[in-house]
Parts: sequence; C-alpha cells; structure tokens
Amino acid sequence: MPVIVDPDKCNGCHNSKQPPCVRMCPGDLIVKDFQTNKAYLKYFEDCWDCLPCIKACPEEAIRFQLSYQMGFFSASLQPHIHRDRQNITWTLVDAHGHKEEFNIRTKVLEVALDERIEGEPTPDFSI
Amino acid sequence: MERPDQQSIQRITHDTDILIIGGGTSGCLAATEIKEKYPHLSVTIVEKAHVDRSGCLAAGMNAINAYLNPGETPESFVKYVRYDSCGLIREDLVQSMAELFEYSVKKVEGWGLPILCDESGNYAPRGRWNIKINGESLKPIIAKAARDSGAKIHNWVVVTDLLMSGERCAGAVGFSLRHNTFYTFRAKATIVATGGAAGLYKPNNAYDAQHKTWYSPFNNGAGYAMGIRAGAEMTSFEMRYVALRTKDAIAPTGTLALGVNAPLVNSKGERFMQTRYAHLGGDGAPTPYRAYGPIQEVKAGRGPCYLDTTHITDEQSRQLKMAYLDMYPSQVLYWAANDIDPARHPVEVQTTEPYIVGGHCQGGYWVDIDRQSTVPGLYAAGDVAGGAPFKFVSGCWAEGILAARHAGKEVQSMALPEVDHLQVETAYQRCFDPLFNHGKVKYGVKPYDMEVRMQKIMEEYAGGTSQNYEMNEERLQLARKYMDQLPGQFDQLVVADMHDLMRAHEVMDRVVVGQVLIEHLMARKETRWPSYQTRTDYPERDDLNWLKFVNTRRDRSSGKIEVLFRPYQQLVPGDRYHPGAKPHPKPN
Repeated sequence: MPVIVDPDKCNGCHNSKQPPCVRMCPGDLIVKDFQTNKAYLKYFEDCWDCLPCIKACPEEAIRFQLSYQMGFFSASLQPHIHRDRQNITWTLVDAHGHKEEFNIRTKVLEVALDERIEGEPTPDFSI
Repeated sequence: MERPDQQSIQRITHDTDILIIGGGTSGCLAATEIKEKYPHLSVTIVEKAHVDRSGCLAAGMNAINAYLNPGETPESFVKYVRYDSCGLIREDLVQSMAELFEYSVKKVEGWGLPILCDESGNYAPRGRWNIKINGESLKPIIAKAARDSGAKIHNWVVVTDLLMSGERCAGAVGFSLRHNTFYTFRAKATIVATGGAAGLYKPNNAYDAQHKTWYSPFNNGAGYAMGIRAGAEMTSFEMRYVALRTKDAIAPTGTLALGVNAPLVNSKGERFMQTRYAHLGGDGAPTPYRAYGPIQEVKAGRGPCYLDTTHITDEQSRQLKMAYLDMYPSQVLYWAANDIDPARHPVEVQTTEPYIVGGHCQGGYWVDIDRQSTVPGLYAAGDVAGGAPFKFVSGCWAEGILAARHAGKEVQSMALPEVDHLQVETAYQRCFDPLFNHGKVKYGVKPYDMEVRMQKIMEEYAGGTSQNYEMNEERLQLARKYMDQLPGQFDQLVVADMHDLMRAHEVMDRVVVGQVLIEHLMARKETRWPSYQTRTDYPERDDLNWLKFVNTRRDRSSGKIEVLFRPYQQLVPGDRYHPGAKPHPKPN
C-alpha cells in the first residue's frame, strides 16, 4: 500500500466532513470513517503515489511507503511543510537507517480543514 | 452515503456561457484567460476530482519542457518537434502554441510559481527546450488563479456525455461523486480539457502497484470518448506514447538524460544509441527511437538497459534527488529502499504500457488553429487535442488560452442553444444504468473485471508491452473482434455507489477509445514511429503513401467508425528529418 494513514495520529480533522486528504486525492480513493473519526485509503490498489494527501495532512499522519513489491518498506520519505509555506523539507531514511534531509523552495497554499461542496443540497429542517 | 436510487437523485441545471470540462492545467488556464479578456462571460469548470490537485500535475513538476530559450523561435521549435515526431505534425498548431510559451509561463510565474534563474537572472535551462522550476505546488497555484478569476468550479462532478443542439455542442451532463445529483450544464461553447488516456493496456505492475503508471491513471480518455460519441473527428491515435522511464518507479527520464547528460547503455556497457542509431541522432534521436532502442537491446539479450549516471558527483546526485522530489518523490524512496545511488549505480530503465496522450504524441481531437473541433461549439485543449506533440505543460497552457480566446469571442452575441428533453433523459439513463442495475441484473460485470478484459485484449492483440509493442493486420483483426464484443456488455455493468459508477464510466470510455485506437492502428500501413506504432507487416516508413494523418469519425446514430485521411502541410521549410540548427544566443 503506497500511502497509509496512521490511525494513532489521524484525528479526522475534528468535525470535518471532508478532510484535506479526502479532498486532495485525485482518484477519490481516501474516505473518512465517521464511526472511528479517521480517514483511510479505501481503494489502496488504485493509488498513484502522487502524495497530495500527505502534503495536505495537518497532523502529518500519512506515511509514504513503497508497495512491498517495489522494495522493502523500512526506507521512508516524509515531507514537512514549513510554517512560512515557502519551503518543504523531505526526510529520507534509507534501508540501512541512514538519514538525509532535502530542503526545497516551493509555494504551498493553505488547505482548509473542510470545504463546502458546490451543489450540495442544504439540509431541510422543515419536517 | 446510501446507495442512491431513482427517487433520491436530484437534478440541477446550470447555464453558463463557456463550459470547461476538466480542471487540469489546460482547463484552468482557459478559465483565467476568458475571465481576463471577457470578464462579463460566465465560466464553469467541471472537474471529477478537486482542481487543487487533479490531473497530471498532482505530484508536481520540476521543469517546463517546452520553452523558447534565448535564440530559439517558434519556427526552430516546429523544426525540432517535426524531427522528433518523425516528420509528421500539424505545423500550424505547433507553431501557434510556441508563440504563447513565454506569455503563459510569465503568467504562471506571476501567480507564484518558483522558476530557477541563473546568475544573470535568466531562466535556468535544462536542455534545449527546458527550464527548471520548483513546481511541487504547480497545480494548486494554477487552481487558485482559476478560482480567483471568478470561474465557477464544480469539483467531483464526472461528465458522462456532451449535449448537442442539432450539429452544435450545447454543453454536457454528469453526476456528482459527493451527493446524489445529476447535472445538466447548458453552454454556448464547451472546451474539453480532460487529458489523455491511461489504462488501455495492461499495466506494468500488478496488485497495489497497478497504478504505478507514468501517466495519471485517473486520466481515462473521457474527453476522447465523449467526443467520439458526439461524432467529433479524431486524429493520430496510432501514435501511441510508449515512455522510456526509470525501472519500477516509472519516473520521467529527462531529469537524468537532460539534467545530468546520462547516456543510454546496455548491460554490456555499450552506448547502443551512439553505435546502432547514430544515423538517427544517437542519444539525441527522436523520442520514439529512444524507447525503441532499449526495447531492441532487451529483445536481443543485451538487457537490462540503463541511463548511465555514474559520472556525476555526490552533490549532483543530491540535486537529482531534489529534482525528483518536486515531481516524482517515489523515485527517491525507491533508490533509498533498494540501495541505489545514481552517482555509483547506473539507473535502470524500462518502457511503459502505451498511452494516448496529445501532449507528448498527437492522438486527439482534430482541431483548427483556434482549437475548435469538427463539432461546432466544441473546443479541445491540452492532452486531449491532437496534431501537436511536445506540448507538455506550457503547450497545454497555450492551447487552453487559444481555445479560450476564440470561444470567448464566439459566444459574445449568442443565445443559449436549445437542448431537447429526450436527449437529456437518454443521457440520464446512460449515466445511472450501472447503478440502477443493482438488484436487477443477477450476474453482473464489475467495472474492474471489464477493465482487465479490455487490457488483456489490447495487450495481446494491439501491441502491448509483452508483445514488444508490435502488431500486424491479423492480430489487430482479433483485437477489433474481441473489443467489439464489450459495448454489448455495458448493460451488464453493476455498481453500488457513486465511486464505482465513476469506475464504470471510466471503463466504458476506455473501451470506446480502444476501439477507435484499433482502427487507427489498422489504417496506417507503414511504421512511422517505431515502438509507438510498430507494424511488423509494414516495417518501413513510407512517405510516398503515408505522409498524411489518419483520422476517424464515429457515426452518431450507427456507431460505425469511419477512417479518413487528411493531408500534411509543410509550413516551415527544411529537411523534415533534421532537428534544425541550434541557434547561438547572442552574448549579453
């Protein structure tokens, strides 16, 4: 599974109906389970490894790993977006535990915790 | 979400001056251009994901690969693209997009895209037509501009059919992935910008890496399919794109070949492009040959093949990783997991399954200089538009802008075309059939099952990876026969929710595109683009008979696919098989 939501870190973005990871996935593959209040990659076999979900997660709760068939998952790569949103730091750990950091200029835009969906029917309170 | 039924589906009709189907890189630029030039026009973007991270650019980009560096001109660009595409392109289209590279790149830079510059403040080149960017957030930056422009954006709406008013396109219909809604968008002009098609052929990997494809697996050719159903003329599908990519990670190789001048070598360390393909340009040979060469090496038992990076320094190796982090992070993780350091080990390469993509090759809508298709009121821009390869990101921007300018002008004094009720009802039924089949069809077909069936046919009979991309008349006859069985089974597709309804439409679209592709592959009786289009029964290029475009049009009522030929026109003089001289920029 290329990305995996860590249930210990995910807080479902509180009351968000559609947390950033759910909204940013270009394949509509991540859903929020409202029973557990946590997001998960429902259609893991359809993941493209593109990582908008990881970059948008405010809790940094999504782990990037290779599909096992691509090599052992002890290696890891995690992005961290700086507070100024002008830089992104990637922390790479190879299969031997050797750590390397890469700081790259960017311009990351704010991603809101939730968003109104165009065309969604407004709740009917008339009953 | 509960399984929707007939009763729970609400209907929304939305009228707009210009409808843009697909909020990717081309669609967003089209929207901003219309609102800038014609602020009074209403613009609506319909996107099946969320515009912030939808389409090919979800992961980001590390370079703009079509740009006129100092000294280059639109004409020199046409010469090079013509050479790279083996002598056959729509020169008018390629030239007109090149004229807008600077305009579009400057525009996006103005929205905040970091572009790397050298000491004197010029854009930092990476190869002849490329400049370096820090484009990890390229897509959200463009999407924000589209949102700020005042365009109305409908995220998570899957368009299933175009609407027609007589012979004119009058909008589109679709359904929401987020609420039980059927949308009717009525428009004076419609711009299709959905991207190309991945997933027609068997993927390189199975199980949870089946979507470890180079091209976005969510680009299913929907834009082609809706145009084909509406009778729009398509061109050059037979110029499939077979990409030379890094092994397993399937990351682009330009970062290595252009970024650090890594040559192709085989397992014996031989620079086979320089020896066997010297007459075609060696390592600089046209792109199809840079895929064909390695395929032949592997066939001859001299694989695997590599891009040899072992000459680079540790610092360059680090820079390489940073370049990939901006676009293809899994490459960096793959190296770390598999003990590969490009400064010490050559990077193994492979070729991908074939895609149809008008931005690298030229399969797509047959359009005029304003990017109007053969259906009045319907425009095509970006990967979905044909005839203009080497578009990449900036060419898609240019095409979005060109379509926008003309559509904006066209609709000025136009009334909304009438759409008859029956057409909308038919489209509604087709839209929800797989969902309404739930509980009705006893032994149904799942979208994934049909996808695998389709990929198996295409792979084995229409030149998939396992067949070294080769094909002949007899195999294509079988491909046609088996693919023609699938549309008759569309009414057996059964799904239970909106996500799977999207998957059902994706596979139906792919089948339609695959059928058209087969007709194109059968029609071109020569081999013009080895590996993209290798006909073992017609192995040579044949300019005498085949220096022309293969086009198709599907009849709207009978569904029969008609093949047409359109002439090639040389506008820029010179040898079509020569890349043109690289101009020497004047020193500042």
